[in-house]
Amino acid sequence: MQALQELARKLLTDKTANVVIGWGQGPRGPRPIFVTQPEHADRLIFDTRCVHNLATYLNPRRAHLVPFVKKAVVVKPCDARAVAGLIRETQVKREDVVLIGMRCGGVVRDSDMDGKLTEATVSPRCMDCPDREPKLADHLMGEEASAPPKGKGPDMIAKLDAMSPAERWEFWQKELERCVRCHACREVCPMCFCDRCIADKSMPQWIESSPHPRGNLSWQMTRVMHMAGRCVGCGECTRACPVDIPLGLILRKMTQTVEERFGYRVSDDPTVPAPMGAYRLDDKQEFIL
Amino acid sequence: MSAKTLTQADLASLVGDLVAAGTRVVAPSRTGVGPLQHLDYREIKKADEMTLDAGLPKRSIKELFFPPTEVLFRWKQKKNDFELQEVETKFQKTVVIGARPCDAAAPEIVDRLMNWDYKDELWNGRREATTIVALACDGQDKSCFCTAVGLGPDSTKGADVLLVPVKGGYHAEILTAKGEALVKDFGKRFGEAKSADEAGKFRETARAKVEGNLKVDPKPIRTWLDGHFEDKYWGEIALRCHGCGACASVCPTCHCFDIVDEPEGIYEGARRRNWDTCQTGKFTLHGSGHNPRGTQNMRFRQRVTHKFAIYPRKFEEILCTGCGRCARACPGGMDLLEILSDIGQMAGGAA
Repeated sequence: MQALQELARKLLTDKTANVVIGWGQGPRGPRPIFVTQPEHADRLIFDTRCVHNLATYLNPRRAHLVPFVKKAVVVKPCDARAVAGLIRETQVKREDVVLIGMRCGGVVRDSDMDGKLTEATVSPRCMDCPDREPKLADHLMGEEASAPPKGKGPDMIAKLDAMSPAERWEFWQKELERCVRCHACREVCPMCFCDRCIADKSMPQWIESSPHPRGNLSWQMTRVMHMAGRCVGCGECTRACPVDIPLGLILRKMTQTVEERFGYRVSDDPTVPAPMGAYRLDDKQEFIL
Repeated sequence: MSAKTLTQADLASLVGDLVAAGTRVVAPSRTGVGPLQHLDYREIKKADEMTLDAGLPKRSIKELFFPPTEVLFRWKQKKNDFELQEVETKFQKTVVIGARPCDAAAPEIVDRLMNWDYKDELWNGRREATTIVALACDGQDKSCFCTAVGLGPDSTKGADVLLVPVKGGYHAEILTAKGEALVKDFGKRFGEAKSADEAGKFRETARAKVEGNLKVDPKPIRTWLDGHFEDKYWGEIALRCHGCGACASVCPTCHCFDIVDEPEGIYEGARRRNWDTCQTGKFTLHGSGHNPRGTQNMRFRQRVTHKFAIYPRKFEEILCTGCGRCARACPGGMDLLEILSDIGQMAGGAA
């Protein structure tokens, strides 16, 4: 922690960065903070309760953060995958951002928990995360981390796969009927950076804005399809959902499908093109005819 | 105002009686297991579907009166003419059991707006059909601040009956004509009041607990807000805010809506009213492309100002019941208690 604070102080003092975006103590556990003064660098902390994906603050859609220009961001491995995604898709220039990578052995489900990592408290997104340290980083900090605990309970994806289409349909109808279309899932997503989201377009109205089953299904399915080969698995959509829809399940299933079909797993190497952005002669196409 | 006793067993029987009488009963209810567990206000058919001891439901009571989407009318095109089809504005008789006081108070606050110039028939229809049996609570967690907005964990505002937990059941305060009617219709379930002292102690303890979370005076806050629209405090208020509107979705008093026309076939469709929120850029985006609330900082200022200055000026009510859901739901760690405390300090210094 001290090393992190010292680095932040140095970056701000020598003007390498105008802001260091990291975590600080808030009323309900750690939360994102924006340190602009070197003397405030000691407010930075890092532990297993630092659940937020701060790469989302690099998203150019956030007009109120653009004036900082040179930003330093503290990233876990999953957050680094998001930064790589933004660089890959030309939303962020590598030279405009200083990345402070933290070694990570998983985080808890929510920042207001006590931080002890167990089978019961580990965030679902950490269970199959293979990365213990970000490779896309200018500075690497923290102690060597061991793999996060495996979560308890049945693997929901296997359970859903085993269901009949009718049962699965019923499961998702029930979950999605809770959706109130606040679009929190979109707003927190580091990879949702469209200037005008298709859900906000009304001429024509591609997706009905009403939170009824028809509109909710078309919104959530569209979002997942737009995330194919792009979702970094940070789980922010699931955490942000105010009505607790398990959105991560759809995205994890989609990620598995992309891996099966394209042999592609989202990494923090921005030079590897995503399947949607690359043309390969050996892409499977047996479904065309 | 009178008082009665309602035992646990009688409350369970009351649910059965109400359902048998054709009344819709809504209560906090838990469904699902593990991470797919949800605690919400929902219609129940049996007393054992009711979960009164698990705290505040995730979503507020407002959707019982103001659903996330509702049809205002339907239309049918007939050659060069239109036929309009009205929607029903009379609703099934409903009793809400176990509404937390911060939820029970909310519809009464929003009543002012819904009856200000236009009388909203859908809102009023649901309000008239509904009796609210509130349940005094002992504070959810450190984000509760009902006492700071003039309410409390035992507040009676908006409630027709207030239940206060006592040994073996509840001390019931009958507060309104609707409450009296409920007791009259199901008199055999209510016994003589005998635990007023025990209930009093519960209320006192709960109040003391919540009061510790936030001590501010809303009056100077309102004055400060009126005079500091351009204050530098707003300049960086919402750096961490995602503009997602999760706060407004779970808020019992946020009531902004969007109106859309949706086709339901080639020659027919519906006009709907859907929840909206001032926290998104689209909310104030003009057709010209100009946005008077161009940044998230301005949008968050709007949220605070509307709740603690604009609405009070217009309706003499604070548009907040201190339930703390916004702080709990915020994925970015925005905290209204902290903001009110900051403004309270600045207002104190200025007064």
